[in-house]
Amino acid sequence: MSSNGADIATAVRDTIYLASLLQDDEKWAEWLDLCDEDFAYAIKAYSPEIQYDMTYLSGNRKELQSITEMLPKHNTDHSPLTRHTVVYTVDVDEGAGRASAVSSVAVHQTMLDGINSHVDAGESRLFLIGKYYDKFKIADGNVKFAERVVKLNTRRLDKGSHWPI
Amino acid sequence: MPARNAQQWSRPPSGLKPGEYVDSRIYSDNDIFEEELQKIWKKTWIPVCHESELAKPYDFRTMTIAREPIIVVRGSDNRVRAFLNVCPHRGNMIERRPSGSFAEGTPSGNPKRMTCMFHAWQFDMKGNCVFISRQEEGYQDRLCPKDVGLRRLRCEVYFGGFVWVCLDDKVDKTVAEWAAGCLDCLQPSLDAEPLEVFHYHKAIIPCNYKLWHDTNCEFYHDYLHYHNRITGFNDAYFARKNSGFDNGHINVGSFEVQYDKYEGFESRANVSFPSLPPNHWYMIDMFPGANFNLRGSALRCDLMTPLAPDKVLIEFRGLGLKSDSPETRRARVEHHNTIWGPFGRNLHEDLLAVSGQGAAMDSRAEHRHILHGRHENETIHDENGMRHFYDEWGRWMDRSPGNPDQRYREGHNQPGVSA
Repeated sequence: MSSNGADIATAVRDTIYLASLLQDDEKWAEWLDLCDEDFAYAIKAYSPEIQYDMTYLSGNRKELQSITEMLPKHNTDHSPLTRHTVVYTVDVDEGAGRASAVSSVAVHQTMLDGINSHVDAGESRLFLIGKYYDKFKIADGNVKFAERVVKLNTRRLDKGSHWPI
Repeated sequence: MPARNAQQWSRPPSGLKPGEYVDSRIYSDNDIFEEELQKIWKKTWIPVCHESELAKPYDFRTMTIAREPIIVVRGSDNRVRAFLNVCPHRGNMIERRPSGSFAEGTPSGNPKRMTCMFHAWQFDMKGNCVFISRQEEGYQDRLCPKDVGLRRLRCEVYFGGFVWVCLDDKVDKTVAEWAAGCLDCLQPSLDAEPLEVFHYHKAIIPCNYKLWHDTNCEFYHDYLHYHNRITGFNDAYFARKNSGFDNGHINVGSFEVQYDKYEGFESRANVSFPSLPPNHWYMIDMFPGANFNLRGSALRCDLMTPLAPDKVLIEFRGLGLKSDSPETRRARVEHHNTIWGPFGRNLHEDLLAVSGQGAAMDSRAEHRHILHGRHENETIHDENGMRHFYDEWGRWMDRSPGNPDQRYREGHNQPGVSA
């Protein structure tokens, strides 16, 4: 990999970690600013119960913007989600202006108002585990998410969440 | 009227009659819960999965009803049968996987057999024991395979391919008779062509199973859902009928949902289920705890497994037509998930609400009255659905829902008790 390729790989890693921080802080608009106009997002899982590749949520950038902007109108569990992300692989195709990455993610939930705040608030629980399969567009040294597929191992999701993972 | 003191709080509101409220102990008392498993869950037809989950001969699914492990298998004759998933030898659970196929062999057994891995006893798809390892050496002529078949269970495939199981050999009704007409509103849509499950996830929620069923039975809680208010609240919505059927079932009549009034959502008219008017929405709630919910393009089914007075497993399924093109299936999945998926708009809100009820109804907390007293000419915000359910519950339990220390008939004879 050229030194430029190494720089791009570093930028890919930084973008993935920055996205996790922004999502943790529920800064959805800033998170979407990291995404290309043609960004596609999906949460998927394979169910051994029904032996089917499932999609739990999907949307393009505009749909995700709409979903996140509508959140204040909805009743929701405000218990914060915190992503522990580790980038495992980064592959850069400089000529094509593309890169891809695979990361492991574990999401913890620190209880706030989900059940009985007097008892539960402050307790951190494992919410889900899975992997990020990310694709990037590279132009003029800038790295933008072109696609994110969150592939969940966890399928017992209890109350679920209104927030993208 | 100011807030009430303890004595006032312990009494139901004076304007409500017995039958228009229940005692919170029916949601929290362990003895009542155990009684429900025996008197209701082991006696009634329970939908357990969909036949598309065991599409080929030798496919199987496993589940639990009232703590009894169940296995559903499709035989070489294509017939679906159900058995206790328990080896008659030493009581081990025979199959541990959630689903799979017996067409291939297992480490302890042969192809086309259910094999208990513990001592390699083998059973065919009809539940007959067909092999006992070292049979003659151990049992001589005292025991042979025909004496140790599996425990077969009553099983039917009915209503769009759902698999129904009853633990009671003496159940005197078919599933159709048990449904008593409550499924008729959706039968043309679900029986027109084969269905397929495209979504499955589960939740274990800290509340009594009936609180989830109640939430599925009453629509007054649409105030919880921004989506339903914005796409629903109009004259046609408020005219929807809540109808009771024999055996405690209800259904909620349809109207046309204005999906495009929710920003970012679209009409579902072009992928409606067969025989369903565009964007219409029917809901069926079956006693004691199953829900079928068709919103135009996607069918949702909730199946409950009560685990404890304050704990329920809910399995959520989404279904489309087996003949769906990839594009149509994609649309159905998206329509399903935006509202009912684990990251959708409404399901999360519903589950939050019942979790809050569960937290407020600890078995050691003081009991109180839960109000089911709205009367609106049996339309959408009438609570007649819950009253209908609890009248049936009282009969099966021989307890009055308003005072479970009283027998059903004592409570039933009081004025105002009716569905």
